[in-house]
Amino acid sequence: METFHLWGTDMIEFLLLLIIAVFTGLLLHGLHRKIIARIQCRPGPPIWQEVLHTLKFSFKQTWIPRTASQVMYVTIVLIAVGIWIAALWVIWSGANLLILFALYMLHKIIEHGTGLSSGSPYTKFGAIRSVMSAAAELPLLATIAIVYLFCGTLSIGEIAQFQIEINKPMILSAFPAAISLYLIILSKAHYGPFTIIEAKELVSGYWTEHFGGWRALLNIAMGLKTVVLLSTFVLLFIGAVPWWMMTILMLILMISISFVCATTPMLTPYQAVTVQTIWTIIVVIYATVALVVSSAEGIFV
Amino acid sequence: MFEQIHEQTLLLLPFGDIVHYLSGYTVILAAFAVMFLLLALVSLPERPIDIVFGTDGYYIKEIPVDIMKFQRFMALACGISTIGAITTGDIFNFTLFAIFIGILNIGIVAAVENKHVLDAAFSYGLVVMMATIPLFAGAATIIATCGTLSIGELVDTDATPLIAKLLILIGVFGEGMAPFYIGKTEITRAPGAPYILMIHVSSLLLFLRTIEIFLTV
Repeated sequence: METFHLWGTDMIEFLLLLIIAVFTGLLLHGLHRKIIARIQCRPGPPIWQEVLHTLKFSFKQTWIPRTASQVMYVTIVLIAVGIWIAALWVIWSGANLLILFALYMLHKIIEHGTGLSSGSPYTKFGAIRSVMSAAAELPLLATIAIVYLFCGTLSIGEIAQFQIEINKPMILSAFPAAISLYLIILSKAHYGPFTIIEAKELVSGYWTEHFGGWRALLNIAMGLKTVVLLSTFVLLFIGAVPWWMMTILMLILMISISFVCATTPMLTPYQAVTVQTIWTIIVVIYATVALVVSSAEGIFV
Repeated sequence: MFEQIHEQTLLLLPFGDIVHYLSGYTVILAAFAVMFLLLALVSLPERPIDIVFGTDGYYIKEIPVDIMKFQRFMALACGISTIGAITTGDIFNFTLFAIFIGILNIGIVAAVENKHVLDAAFSYGLVVMMATIPLFAGAATIIATCGTLSIGELVDTDATPLIAKLLILIGVFGEGMAPFYIGKTEITRAPGAPYILMIHVSSLLLFLRTIEIFLTV
């Protein structure tokens, strides 16, 4: 099997992909806002609004609040960008899915740290809600277990190519796992039912106090995060597809998420955690049944 | 599975029959632990703002230096324990580090003079203490059935009972993961951002390391 790469093979091409991913992620967020607005009968901002926001924040006056834990306030932003660049690298090189899971889990620390570092009560509540919604990460682990069960590998590249070789996308054979990952993406989407950490009663939640250049960097991380999560879904459940197909599938996913966000009210923290926990239990039961069946009949791996 | 997760072992550090190691996976976890350890070392805490109820006023709280120093010491100890849990190649040492992390998490907020935080820390402490039972039971089951606690040798024998792995997993959940983390959510209300963050960092990294152990031995 030849070495998998999402696009291109050398460092220059990865850097190009990085730039494209940032802009694509920000445009997807713009699209997300536009769709929500249109469903709610508002004109909404232009699709490139998030790109403009990021550029605007980049040139605004930037400083550190007097009450902040200063080193942490700055470092946590750089770590956020670093994590999602690393995650994009993992996807690009088709590396281990468990490393991607680790980076995704570490994003929780970023949310927590960003919220705690400023000293503001709004950001702090966002941070505490982030800890509280830790149950959201468990379905991702169950997803990884199920994917391994079906493919017998944790390499993203091999999983993606495996589906093309057998000509059957995993979304058909492991549908609950696909829903699980979809819920993960939904829980990270802005204005979604699970977005309790940046609810409007907390202004902007955990990143309320990060402004100017810091916000621009966090926006870049957010754009990368969106691209990484959407492309992970496509690679794990559809397979290694050409770049234009990948773009179309990511768009379809984003539009569906926007529809859910526009038509679903934001849950309370208690409801969000309850739904996530119940879904985790369902997926764990599914994974256990799949494991027992595979052990008994040897039909998967 | 071991080869898939580890890809290649980057560092081996033997202490007798106990071998510490870093793989492609654990080196990322260790790097994060070191990063947040340094952050706790060099960062000063934030000064939390509280709103005066019923007015437009607010006040800024200062964390007393003695409490800050105590929190920092506990956070550094917690960070070092986390690195230990990530790099150790011995199941018993792993369980010891896991329990140590649980206790130090309480230690980080123990000096905070806030009734809600201390109540939550007490509740969390009870869960942490109870979680030591499945952790040690898991390690005891492994030594009884396999005759070794070395992760490297357990990988070769491929005879670790599933029940032992599940016991260790339950124990680590008890040290601060879902569904036992609600008490921990409350204790993160305490001031001292760089130190409080270590509570979250240590739990997540411990969980990620447990996944690796669960899948490999």
